[in-house]
Amino acid sequence: MSQRTRLFHRKDPYDLPASDQQFLRAVRENCAFHYAHCPEYRAVLDSFSFRPEDLKEYGDLEKLPFLPTLTFKQHRLFSLPRWKMAAVSTSSGTSGQFSEVGFDFPALWCDWNMLWKVGRPRGFFSSRPTHYVILGYKPRRDNRTSVARTAFGATLLAPALSRTYALKYENGSYTPDLDGVADALVRCGKSRFPTRLVGFPSYTYFLLRLLESRGVRLSLPPGSKILLGGGWKQFYTQQVEKPVLYDLAQRVLGIPEERIIEVFSAVEHPILYADCVHHHFHVPIYSRVIIRDPETLAPLLPGQPGLVEFLTPLLTATPILAVMTDDLGILHPAGSCPCGNPAPWLEILGRVGLKDIKTCAAGAAELLGKGGDVL
Amino acid sequence: MILANGTLYDTSRQDELLDGLEERLNRTLAEQTLAPEQVISAIDRLGQRLDRGEFDALLSQVELADRYLAQIRPHLTREALEYKLRVELGTDTAPFVTRPPEELSPITVRPAPLGVLLHIAAGNVDGLPAYSVVEGLLTGNINILKLPQADNGLSVEILRQLIREEPALTDFIYAFDTPSEDVDALLRMAQLSDGVVVWGGDGAVSAVRRFAPVGVKLMEWGHRLSFAYLSGAQDRARDWPALARHIVETRQLLCSSCQVIYLDTERPEDVHTFCRDFLPLLEQAAASGPARSLGAVSELTLRRYQERVERAISGDARQSDRRVYHGRGCSLTACADRELELSHLFGNPLVKALPRRELLPTLRRQKGRLQTAGLLCPEADRAALTDLLVRSGVTRVLPAGEMSDTFSGEAHDGEYPLRRYTRMVNVR
Repeated sequence: MSQRTRLFHRKDPYDLPASDQQFLRAVRENCAFHYAHCPEYRAVLDSFSFRPEDLKEYGDLEKLPFLPTLTFKQHRLFSLPRWKMAAVSTSSGTSGQFSEVGFDFPALWCDWNMLWKVGRPRGFFSSRPTHYVILGYKPRRDNRTSVARTAFGATLLAPALSRTYALKYENGSYTPDLDGVADALVRCGKSRFPTRLVGFPSYTYFLLRLLESRGVRLSLPPGSKILLGGGWKQFYTQQVEKPVLYDLAQRVLGIPEERIIEVFSAVEHPILYADCVHHHFHVPIYSRVIIRDPETLAPLLPGQPGLVEFLTPLLTATPILAVMTDDLGILHPAGSCPCGNPAPWLEILGRVGLKDIKTCAAGAAELLGKGGDVL
Repeated sequence: MILANGTLYDTSRQDELLDGLEERLNRTLAEQTLAPEQVISAIDRLGQRLDRGEFDALLSQVELADRYLAQIRPHLTREALEYKLRVELGTDTAPFVTRPPEELSPITVRPAPLGVLLHIAAGNVDGLPAYSVVEGLLTGNINILKLPQADNGLSVEILRQLIREEPALTDFIYAFDTPSEDVDALLRMAQLSDGVVVWGGDGAVSAVRRFAPVGVKLMEWGHRLSFAYLSGAQDRARDWPALARHIVETRQLLCSSCQVIYLDTERPEDVHTFCRDFLPLLEQAAASGPARSLGAVSELTLRRYQERVERAISGDARQSDRRVYHGRGCSLTACADRELELSHLFGNPLVKALPRRELLPTLRRQKGRLQTAGLLCPEADRAALTDLLVRSGVTRVLPAGEMSDTFSGEAHDGEYPLRRYTRMVNVR
């Protein structure tokens, strides 16, 4: 059994200290694999004079060179031939700037293990037939974005009675059909089976507001849930006041706050983070978070704001074992959440960026990513 | 917002206003003349209102408003404007008759405005779009201003106030907030113009070159690069802190900001010695410089890291040729090459060796982009080095600490704009 499989088969998904050594072994194994099979990854490690064998003890994980998420948008980094990959996941980027991350077959099994262990305590799984209302894309063969897949995957957690999508593919493009969704929810309200609403927080909020303005007051059967999710971006680009959303869900759909579950994941770090009853995102054993100093990139102590780096040995197809996001966040210390989950929890504060910078130095606007507004 | 006929219109009326524009422009060209005096006195009165605090609310949206005002206010006086006219146009403001050698025939020279100027302004300096229009007005031109996308309304307000001071300016000022993507509208404006004045980076300049009709004069104020050149014995106590302050205070964002510190030496080890000596001064300046947000600091750190990763992936050998000296809030990068290039900005200049004999060939590779050289050298070498820098294509040579200062009567990137906005007509 590989070190990775051992890690993903561990029983308690939130006992980090007990899994530290296993995590290290799995990352070392993963690092050696990518170093041997991905020339670009090897070049990066070489340029830092770092070798997989340098991961001797747990603390060495901080020294492992990381790749910024931008790297995966600019390069296609693979350590396996395509035919050995079970799937390729892409981020929903604009203007051709998107990441592609490959999944090997064993990784999918690890994925299911992770989903089971992280999801079960939050009641992801149920044998009761369920109606699904998905505020996202209706999947198509050529839509490989992870958003569409994850939304579809979410409908497999309990047997699906029906699936209604807010974005429908018509005549070559996706069009929103919020009215159709609103009607579907009203229908679901009359069913004796529960309903699950799956979507980005912002879309969900928008839908709830629409329903409220139409005077809709439903009382969806017990077991009905709202699953909020999306990439990192949704956290601050479409910030929604969560308490307002919880309140609306109770009023409009009759779904109480504890049955609103938020999850997140990213193409470059496809680990499932699910919130606890206090809506904190605890770090599962398949992942480690290092917060780094914005200026020196030195690791920071828990509680200090900095750049968010993720580690995971999940994939052998793409070297995402250590990725640096362009997010700022805080890792709250282990044992600090009243929910009783001992694992540290991650809070995303916002995104890095240079706002309102004015320049006339040649090339500076382009360097600062303002090349778009040329005139 | 659109400013035309002295009135503000909603953006949606653009096409309708453009439809009638040719006729209006032609009528103005045929019937009206704008004297510099009308423009000068309007600006002078505006300057006085500025002093009375009438525009404080407007200025509050400008970054570092006090410093900004301290820089531009002295230029908004009658004396300064008259001086500018005199320096840039000399005596060529009134018609005169040439006096050639005897056997050649004389002719009357009559200066005239170019006609209609289309200003495609950049948003990188507050009020710059209005300033560009004022230069057009001083030379008697009709001005169509295409506002930058990021404009905060300051420019239109300045122009509106000018018209209020001098109603005769009404038919000489138009401002459109046309987005850059609306090439059709821009082309229509360009076709009505005698000259297009474009401010901005390579992208803006080449976009205008693509759409401007042949026969329309292009006047490009592109983005530039500047550097410091350190040669011979240095007055470290006086000049080095001044250079450090310049680097931090301009955040290396200006055309005149120092991007590369060149050392007149052949020896690579001198570059490292300099970095070690200069870093504490840069740190001191950074500590008292403008504060930087967590997001901005992070972004810059990530970019630099990303560059390093990119270089590793692409096998770029420059990787091993660069060494970064990290300071708090700043850094110096010792480089083995000699090229003039953009630095990492925000207090992170590059340091390179550039022996005097290599100066001209190296700088020539950036011809057309060169602006200010901050020269620090012993007095005895100053004249010779200045001459060499001028021959290399530099348009300003200043002490390193004063690289971004503005001076009355100075040229803009080697040219006098008013001269370019004027044509010399011959009449007999």
